Amino acid sequence: MPILSLQDVSKDYLTDGQRVRALSGISLSFERGEFVALVGRSGCGKSTLLNLAGAMDFPTSGKVLLDGIATFSLKDAGLTQLRRERIGFVFQSFQLLHTLTVYENVELPLLLAGKSNPREAAKERLAWVELDGYGDRYPHQLSGGQMQRVAIARALIHSPSLLLADEPTGNLDTTTGNVILELLHRLTRERNTATILATHSPEAAALASIVVRLRDGKIEEITRR
Amino acid sequence: MPRLLLFYRLLVRPLFQEPVRAALIVLAVALGVAVVLAIDLAGNAATGSFRSSMETLAGDDDLEITATGGVPEDVVGVLAALPYSIRVSPRIEDFAVIAETKKSLPLIGMDLVAEGATYAQSESTNTAEGSARPAVGESFEHLGDLDSAWVSSSLGYKTGDRLQLLINDRESAYTVRGIYPDSNGKESAIVMDIAAAQHALTRYGRVDRILLKVPQQPGLDQWTQRLRAALPAGVNVRPQGAGTNENRRMLAAFRWNLRLLSYISLVVGAFLIYNAISVSVVRRRAEVGIVRALGAARFAILTAFVGEAACFGLAGALMGLPLGRFMANGAVKLMATTVQSLYVSSRPGPIELTASSIFFALAIGVGVAVLSAYSPAREAAMVSPVEAMARGRREYDTRVHKARDFWLAVVLGVAAAAASRAPAIAGKPLFGYLAAILLVAASALAIPAFADALMSFSSRVIGGLLGVEAMLASRSLAASLRRTSVLVGALSTAIAMMTSVGIMVGSFRETVVLWMNDRLPADLYLRPAGNPAVDHHPTISLDLAQRLETLPGVEAVARLRAYEISYDGIPATLASIDPQALRKSRRSNFFSGRPIEQVFAELRDSNAVIVSEPFTYKHHVKTSDSITLSLGAAQATFRIADVYYDYSSERGIIIMARATLLRYLPDPAPSSLGVYVAPGTAVETVRAELERAAAGHSILMFSNRDLRAEAIRIFDRTFAITYALEAVAVVVGVMGIAGALLALVIDRRRELGLLRFLGAATGQVRKLILVEAALLGVLANLAGLIQGFALSLILIYVINKQSFGWTIRFHWPMQILLGALTVVYAATILAGLYPAQVAVRLNPLEVVHEE
Repeated sequence: MPILSLQDVSKDYLTDGQRVRALSGISLSFERGEFVALVGRSGCGKSTLLNLAGAMDFPTSGKVLLDGIATFSLKDAGLTQLRRERIGFVFQSFQLLHTLTVYENVELPLLLAGKSNPREAAKERLAWVELDGYGDRYPHQLSGGQMQRVAIARALIHSPSLLLADEPTGNLDTTTGNVILELLHRLTRERNTATILATHSPEAAALASIVVRLRDGKIEEITRR
Repeated sequence: MPRLLLFYRLLVRPLFQEPVRAALIVLAVALGVAVVLAIDLAGNAATGSFRSSMETLAGDDDLEITATGGVPEDVVGVLAALPYSIRVSPRIEDFAVIAETKKSLPLIGMDLVAEGATYAQSESTNTAEGSARPAVGESFEHLGDLDSAWVSSSLGYKTGDRLQLLINDRESAYTVRGIYPDSNGKESAIVMDIAAAQHALTRYGRVDRILLKVPQQPGLDQWTQRLRAALPAGVNVRPQGAGTNENRRMLAAFRWNLRLLSYISLVVGAFLIYNAISVSVVRRRAEVGIVRALGAARFAILTAFVGEAACFGLAGALMGLPLGRFMANGAVKLMATTVQSLYVSSRPGPIELTASSIFFALAIGVGVAVLSAYSPAREAAMVSPVEAMARGRREYDTRVHKARDFWLAVVLGVAAAAASRAPAIAGKPLFGYLAAILLVAASALAIPAFADALMSFSSRVIGGLLGVEAMLASRSLAASLRRTSVLVGALSTAIAMMTSVGIMVGSFRETVVLWMNDRLPADLYLRPAGNPAVDHHPTISLDLAQRLETLPGVEAVARLRAYEISYDGIPATLASIDPQALRKSRRSNFFSGRPIEQVFAELRDSNAVIVSEPFTYKHHVKTSDSITLSLGAAQATFRIADVYYDYSSERGIIIMARATLLRYLPDPAPSSLGVYVAPGTAVETVRAELERAAAGHSILMFSNRDLRAEAIRIFDRTFAITYALEAVAVVVGVMGIAGALLALVIDRRRELGLLRFLGAATGQVRKLILVEAALLGVLANLAGLIQGFALSLILIYVINKQSFGWTIRFHWPMQILLGALTVVYAATILAGLYPAQVAVRLNPLEVVHEE
């Protein structure tokens, strides 16, 4: 069963009373272990697709199935549960809480899910992203690359089956960005997750096993390697 | 104009994007302004525009002649015989109660033949001036009737009506002989011919006051000297209406303290304006940088933020004006009750919202807002454009300075302790106020360190107890230390005031309860019916008092006689007691600690008096000092045998033995009676006996328990206004919390949205905000309680003592405090509900991705 399946998905937004179509007739499905790059110009619908995939939003028409579960069939509590168990998010601007230490940031999803003693898991995830020994630092004591690693460790803390990354290298220099991409690529393989990146980066596209090119909310091209 | 446009675009318009928060700030200022205005207006009405009821029918007289216990009637003759052209108007002045309506009114006896004729000749002139003396005209033939009365038009009677009046302990029927227009349309009174009034009050041979109209030359001082030389030693000559001024002076401390209490809400409001502008500065840091880079001068930035605060202040003041006028209606009733209970009989005047009141409200609203905004506005102005882009520096500053501020707080605390030991200046506890202000400032400075320490501790502990939301909440508060400190400062100031006043009033109440145990030893108390007042003392017929002593089951009857006097230009009460009758007291109530029997023996055997504690404070006298009293036509000097604790009146009281007073003022009728029931006799049996014996007299009888309950009821009513003021301050503080949490939610929307991405349920986001509100409540309650305790010591031992002269024994009113703090705490959490709902409604997609 695919970890993510979009079946003829369309998404409209109302902007100043005007209906704007962000996605139109999208059908895609991805398996565990796949490293997917969503590419296209700004406003082509990459982030919208990620939001639908992450059960943060509902399609106007069509179906989004996560591990076979249709998101529209769930209420807020069910969607929250789905995110807690199966989805990890990584953002362009890291989105770490500056009042929390690195450990505490990484532990946060487990704590929100009501899990106790998350420290060992946090240590392990930090080791995955090569940040052993940084756990007690605060975000402002880290570089941009390190902050994004922490964000990746946080996204993986609950071993999600789907990792969604929205421009994860957008705020980083090329070298650091490449390191982060390599890291995501490696972790996708090692942890057998499906990773979907919305990106402008050619390096990301080059690493991806599937490249989905979007244009004006529609799939222009799908390249599988 | 372009500047105004910019100001509107950059500062005013954004306020409309957060209407609830802006409204909360405006409302907080409005409440602060309204309370101050209400107390000012009500104060003016209840005390400031105070005019003694007895001035109701005073005309254009220049001087007045008074004497304790009344001026001997022959003085009128002496004055009339002087070789000067003086108009002499003797007066009998007391109170009567209309039996039908229970309305208490001034009863004025005047020489209607002389004065009525004068009035009749110049009726139109006097009416125009607002004076109103009864037009006797055709009713001259009834002047000699002892049952004739003239009443003011507002009472609704017409000529020929019968009127039942309660005067002292007797109810009698009178015929209305004429109606006169109320003076200024407000004051009403019952007027009799002087002989009828003397008869009604059994005050033969004396008048209460003689009003004099003297020629303009050679000046009032000269006239005073001339007249004094012609009069007996105990008779006093002073400018007409001096009693009113004395009362006004007496009320000054009361008004002063109440006014200061009303400023608490404004202080709390100032904290909130400070917080609002700080939030504004932090939020617009980048904008400040851009505007500065585009050429704005520092001064422009300063004035922009101060202007924003001024907008809040102006809007708040404009809203506070009608609110204050409305609140003044309630305040004036409460204040008038206190004035009646503790000071003097007077009726509140009208509430007048004058141009100066409006200006005052606008000035304090805008002034407080501008002053509280100056510091954050100046900071915004001082930041360089580059720095303005860096977020979080402000928090860093607060962290860096919190240790310094803490030590500064310690220094201010020590200064407060020193100030609290300084004496009063001109009867005002100015150093006491300074100590209180220093203490509030010290608390404000200590709060960042206090909040940081407590949040550091709680973030370690609370997460384990209340979950990750609590951990996030405490971290967030610790991280926004500046904002947390200001909010805690605002609410804790309100709580501190509430706590301190609660402790002070609770201690006072407990002290009064304990004091009453000793002060009210008799089993039953009797006084003439009618409305009680601290400054008029109707009497019980002597024959009744004597009859009661002989009743079966009555062991003893203690007779108390009281007179209204002026001592050293301040109203006071002179009373006499039966030293031999007061023999049941259990504990010494004297400064010296001597047993009551010993002190009273001294009163009995020598020309000695005891005085109340407030008297010693007002007149700077102590045990063994001598005081000279004018009694009737004589003057006599008395030694102060001891000072006793007294909480019945803020006016000073002088007590002497009944026999001593009768030597000077030979009117034996008592003002009240204390009846001691013989051992083994049921109080109810004796009460029934007394009621039978008192048939035909209008007497009120209280059991010991009733009297205490009544005293406590009056006490609670007296302090109702202080509770009301505290409640408003707390409401302002809680509104501030709601507004600030709303700002916090808006500022942290990205973080809250992120939590949803990370798996937080909506309930968890709600819990986070509510826990923040709860933590703020805990911090504010703790800080407020500590600060309130310290303030209560200043209130009890310094401000109260120096203002009113009462010794209050410290007492923790646990029930009241726990109840009040619980309500405040619950309100604080409730204040988080709306912001929590806003947080839950945030769209994570929008807020996480917005830049």
